[in-house]
Amino acid sequence: MRRIAPWALAPVAALALAACTNAGNGAGTAEPADQTLNAALGSDRQFATLDEVITNAGLDTVLEGVGPYTVIAPVDAAFTAGGATADFTSIELRAQGAELVRAHLLPGSVTREDLITAIDRGGEAGASMRTMSDSLLTFTRDGEAIVVTSEDGATARFTGEQFLASNGVIQPIDGLLIAADDDAQ
Amino acid sequence: MRKHTLMMSALTLSLALPAAALADTQSQGRGNGHGQDQTENGRANSQGRGGQDRAERSDVRGRGHAERDDDRGNGQGRDGGNSRDRTVVVARVDDSNGRGQGRGADNGNGTGTDRAVVVVRDDSDFRDVLRDLEGRDPRERQDAMREFERRLDGRDLRVVRNRDGDDYIVLIRDDDRGLIDGCPPGLAWRNNGCLPPGQARQAQTNWYDNWLWNRGGDDVRYSYANGYVYQTRQDGGLAGWLPVLAGALGLNNIWPQQYRYEPVPQYYSSYYGLGDRYDYRYADGVVYGLDPQSNRIQQVTALLTGQQWSVGQRMPRGYDAYNVPYAYRTQYRDTPDSWYRYNDGYVYQVDPTTQLVQAVIQLLT
Repeated sequence: MRRIAPWALAPVAALALAACTNAGNGAGTAEPADQTLNAALGSDRQFATLDEVITNAGLDTVLEGVGPYTVIAPVDAAFTAGGATADFTSIELRAQGAELVRAHLLPGSVTREDLITAIDRGGEAGASMRTMSDSLLTFTRDGEAIVVTSEDGATARFTGEQFLASNGVIQPIDGLLIAADDDAQ
Repeated sequence: MRKHTLMMSALTLSLALPAAALADTQSQGRGNGHGQDQTENGRANSQGRGGQDRAERSDVRGRGHAERDDDRGNGQGRDGGNSRDRTVVVARVDDSNGRGQGRGADNGNGTGTDRAVVVVRDDSDFRDVLRDLEGRDPRERQDAMREFERRLDGRDLRVVRNRDGDDYIVLIRDDDRGLIDGCPPGLAWRNNGCLPPGQARQAQTNWYDNWLWNRGGDDVRYSYANGYVYQTRQDGGLAGWLPVLAGALGLNNIWPQQYRYEPVPQYYSSYYGLGDRYDYRYADGVVYGLDPQSNRIQQVTALLTGQQWSVGQRMPRGYDAYNVPYAYRTQYRDTPDSWYRYNDGYVYQVDPTTQLVQAVIQLLT
């Protein structure tokens, strides 16, 4: 796992701020940073667990590549929210970790402004987006916050700032988009 | 639904031989991204693009574990020329009758009134079928169509025609994900399936398993063990199994002989900038890079949704938000008359009112 020196975080934060735009539905100007998704996730401490899951599953090359993808990115606390104990960074759960990552990836570059536009257009139904695991995520608004819900009902809220990487977008969320299977508890 | 798609493809190709032949010529130098692209009657001609370094070979190769793939295209698009230049081949379409009216569009000149279209590269795997279709009367052609369907059946690619009569190849992701009958290597069939009883109990305690792997609705369940996912029916019988990403299809693992794959079509090779280092294979939404000598997986190259978009049909669910890559946002931004959505290396133009797909746009740099 890549460790982060504290001094490295300041430029990352600056890049994150610089990358925030009013992209809208293409009408605005998106100004991506030079960093790839993989580099940005690896250098931001709040994504240390997600980054380790990605690397463990061998998906770092995907997020280093052309893409683009939008990473609905669980922050570290999301992996233990609600008492979850599964360690998706372990070798034993490597395949599960890969599928978990796919379920948090969207095709293309989706900014928050793009999502808000789509949510507002969709009304109560919100906006539906396909993941790389062939599932659907539904995005809605709760006041100023964006809420994302998986097909099985797992929910998370957007948190922090988006980051426009050179090959996609990172949208931090505060929970995992996988729901417990009641029959398997 | 699937049969319907196959028949549509067969019908498409029955009329598309000239286009395919043309596309074979056009393909020279694709990806070098400068010069003037022109279209005539909805078909693209490429002029002034300097590259000759792309393999003039078939777009889609043979498949299956038994085939040593030594006929790969070079896929040098990203590095073959002025990589910062973008070339998008488009053609204007008259909405009233759907006929193409040729017009070239150079990099960055796209407008809301352009109806993008593109080009199919030749495909040796289908060439025989295409030849069979040429010049035959309708009844004879039906036999050739059946043969064509047979060849496509079970494959994760489709040839789709746009409204201007041009074809393009897309990789898809079947619902069954390439499920294999029987038991995987090293496990014998038992009354409770292929898993030893202890492993079966363990799999059922993993709360995330059914969610992560579920693809088949409520009448089947999924469990994971030793790199493979098992699909079981409600009566406990094993419906099938498949190797999965980062499991049996993990880095340094040898490709399972029984698991089907598609070679990566030339367009994807160009878009993702694949070179000659690996043998690239597509399966279940994932592009893998394999060492061509050992058949070991060396790289997970790209993830695809495998959603099938077809011109004239409704946009698939799950693309409500604008998602076009930054580099193309100025060129393809949503307007009241047209939406643009990205998927698996293509941008699709959609009618906002009907949600029907109007055109497909290739993105090559």
